[in-house]
Amino acid sequence: MDRELSPLLDVRGVSYRYPGTTTEALSDVSLAVRGGRLTALLGPNGSGKTTLVRVALGLLAPRAGVSEILGRPAAGWARRELARVVGVVTQQEENLFPQRVRETVTLGRYPHLSLWGRERPEDHAAVTRALERCDVLPLAHRWMWTLSGGEYQRVRLARALAQEPKLLVLDEPTASLDLRHEMELFELTRALVDRTGLAALVITHHVNLAARFADDVVLLSEGRLAARGTPADVLTRETVERVFAWPVAIEPFDGRPQMIPLRRGKETV
Amino acid sequence: MKWVALMVVAATALGLAVVLGPAHVPWSELPRSDIVRSLRLPRAILAFLVGGALGLSGASLQALVRNPLADPYLLGLSGGAGLGAVLAIATHLAGPWALPLAAFAGALLAMALVYRLGLVGGGGGQLDPRVLILAGVAVGAFASAITTAIVSLAEATALRNAFLWLWGGLSGASWDAVLVACVYFPVPVVVLLAAARPLDALALGEEPARHLGTDVEPLKRRVYLAASLLTAAAVAVSGVIGFVGLVVPHAMRALWGHRHRPLLPAAFLGGGTLLTLSDTLARTAVAPRELPVGIVTALVGVPVFALLLRKWTAS
Amino acid sequence: MRLRAHRTHLAGLLALAVAACVRGGRAPEARGISVTDDAGRRVALAAPARRVVSLSPAVTELLFALGAGDQVVGRTTWCDYPPAARAVPSVGDGLNPNVEAVAARHPDLVVLYQSQLNETAARQLERIGLAAAVVRQDRLEDVGRAAQLLGALTGRRAAGDSLAREIERLARGPALQPPPMARVAIVVWDSPPMVIGAGSYLDELTRLAGAANVFHDLASASASVSLETIAARHPDVIVVLADTGSALPGFASRPEWQVIPAVRARRFAVLAGSLFGRPSPRAAEAVAELRRSLEAVR
Repeated sequence: MDRELSPLLDVRGVSYRYPGTTTEALSDVSLAVRGGRLTALLGPNGSGKTTLVRVALGLLAPRAGVSEILGRPAAGWARRELARVVGVVTQQEENLFPQRVRETVTLGRYPHLSLWGRERPEDHAAVTRALERCDVLPLAHRWMWTLSGGEYQRVRLARALAQEPKLLVLDEPTASLDLRHEMELFELTRALVDRTGLAALVITHHVNLAARFADDVVLLSEGRLAARGTPADVLTRETVERVFAWPVAIEPFDGRPQMIPLRRGKETV
Repeated sequence: MKWVALMVVAATALGLAVVLGPAHVPWSELPRSDIVRSLRLPRAILAFLVGGALGLSGASLQALVRNPLADPYLLGLSGGAGLGAVLAIATHLAGPWALPLAAFAGALLAMALVYRLGLVGGGGGQLDPRVLILAGVAVGAFASAITTAIVSLAEATALRNAFLWLWGGLSGASWDAVLVACVYFPVPVVVLLAAARPLDALALGEEPARHLGTDVEPLKRRVYLAASLLTAAAVAVSGVIGFVGLVVPHAMRALWGHRHRPLLPAAFLGGGTLLTLSDTLARTAVAPRELPVGIVTALVGVPVFALLLRKWTAS
Repeated sequence: MRLRAHRTHLAGLLALAVAACVRGGRAPEARGISVTDDAGRRVALAAPARRVVSLSPAVTELLFALGAGDQVVGRTTWCDYPPAARAVPSVGDGLNPNVEAVAARHPDLVVLYQSQLNETAARQLERIGLAAAVVRQDRLEDVGRAAQLLGALTGRRAAGDSLAREIERLARGPALQPPPMARVAIVVWDSPPMVIGAGSYLDELTRLAGAANVFHDLASASASVSLETIAARHPDVIVVLADTGSALPGFASRPEWQVIPAVRARRFAVLAGSLFGRPSPRAAEAVAELRRSLEAVR
């Protein structure tokens, strides 16, 4: 109940401009993520979603506003400390050298390991737990480059879980996945939030999936906050048409609003 | 176990370096021989330390610039050292340590210049590995051009002698040099060994590494400085000995994989072994004459590298 | 067909060469001078050379020794002996010479040191109408032969032949008795250590001075060797060349060189670079000087 009151991640009125550009990437944006809830961050390309996450996690210093994690300013967290609290799955990563699944998930334990110390039994156990939760334990000895798209993303999620964070941040985790793997990933994230009390912030441009799975939605448009609240509050026809610049219809499904884009020149009743 | 095998090979290399040589020293006299105690023993130890430094800094730099084909000399250090040494020869700088110190100073200057060029972006800047490589190649080429100009204006003998020095040799090895190496090497070596885990994370990319708790900017600077200092010292002591820093990390990766915790120490031991064996060969293959050791490492290193390249591209 | 023409051509050259050698000592022909240089090239002049550019310090020295110093109108930057040579304008480097600078001196003969690069330069000079002679100057015997060649080309045959005979006497004469410290190693560089071998002029001087070069078994003029090899051969004295002064060489105080007993005991003989650095008509003086240095070592 306490977690419901104070947000894990609290971003208030941040503005940011990339050096060398004239327009603001973010302008007076606020965001709050709480434990046990899945927050979706939506918006068209270039609306500032990834920038907002970078500012929120202290990677970029905002021109105005403040970002706090567990009550402390983001800039005040040492990277190692922060990595024990926040697990991030970025949009892309490179694999310079071939790795096995278990090896890459073990990288997630690095924030917990001492400088010279070896991996301890509790580290191996945390890795196994993470692999189990993401349903990739049978793949533990496979090479990363042999995995399918869905398996690959689940392994990356397992690595973030191995950090034993309180907050999970996923940046476009389903961008290149097909329907089945996409649904599996969202179901997995939802289950983690429900069963373990994790907080999750998911950046995605799949409006409908966000509406089905998220507790809170934050909608950005050109660096500004367009709307914020429950899916039903945010995803109204008027708001969506304004932000995405396309005519839509909103139909309820399973208690959640679903966006249906309309074809040009045809009005539906 | 692999580690035991590596230790045995390293010890054998050191043993051969002490026992074999152009001067014939009978077995019974080995412990008392002046040649063995004052020349072969320090030379074998120095070869091992220099080879180890080159192997370790090569492996670290390959992780830093995210390119498995990188080499410690890619960053302009050999060009700077060569220029320093040639200037010392051309200006007839006096003193027994003139040449190594001048080479070291030249390498440091090159390192500072490349570092400065590699910093991009405002406010102190971030070290961009791709810019580092380009800056290193440019600085190295520039230094080489000046070196060649100086050498072409010098007398014929100075010309040849300068190039012979550049090709590398451990003839200057003495217990003093070993002492200097033992005092100087440990700090950069420890810094690099400690960077093993962060370098694993860095292999995923800078942003993912940050999210795993790595302070990426300080890490890049630390690794660059430590690896450059080790290479600069190696060149100052023994000229430009190529291929050790490039080939040894790959050979060790084939055996130990890519995790840097085992790889970095293995690269040190492997580099030391390779250079010690090459130096023994350089001293004995055409006795009483001596080959520059840089030639031996190239002659041995290039075929090994070609083999590894084929395996790498085939997989 | 061409091969036969070539052979005839060669035979003709050979005949000329033989004739030129035989003709030495007689007055120059009215038709001009024709000799074969050390690269096998035929050098022909209508009259003895009045304006000679010398592209080798050894040649400069030789020309002045023949009494042809006034005929020298160009020298290299490295030509420092005799002192009168310094008054002659410099045309730059001797190896890979600046052809324009040479031509600017309007010579009728250019003399080069034999090397790959210089054979190309000689051809370049001929293309612009300058007679070029390539001379080898590596060993004692080269001095005598060059003396005769240059004597013929500059109208100083008598001086040339006389000098050649002197050199021959020195070379064939009996070696001096060994000095007390007779085993030497001639060290010309320290990193890496380089010593003089049998192919060098210095090795010949050493023999004539009655001493023995411990590296006489190496055929080349110089070679890079291990320190332990030098130590194992126990030279009594280390001979080094210096341009100025007689101070001990830099490596004398380096720790690893102390393994060599001669270095440890500071038994060095320091020789003047200008006298010993190249084969010279002052060879007899060089031998005497070397002998004196060796005897002075304690």
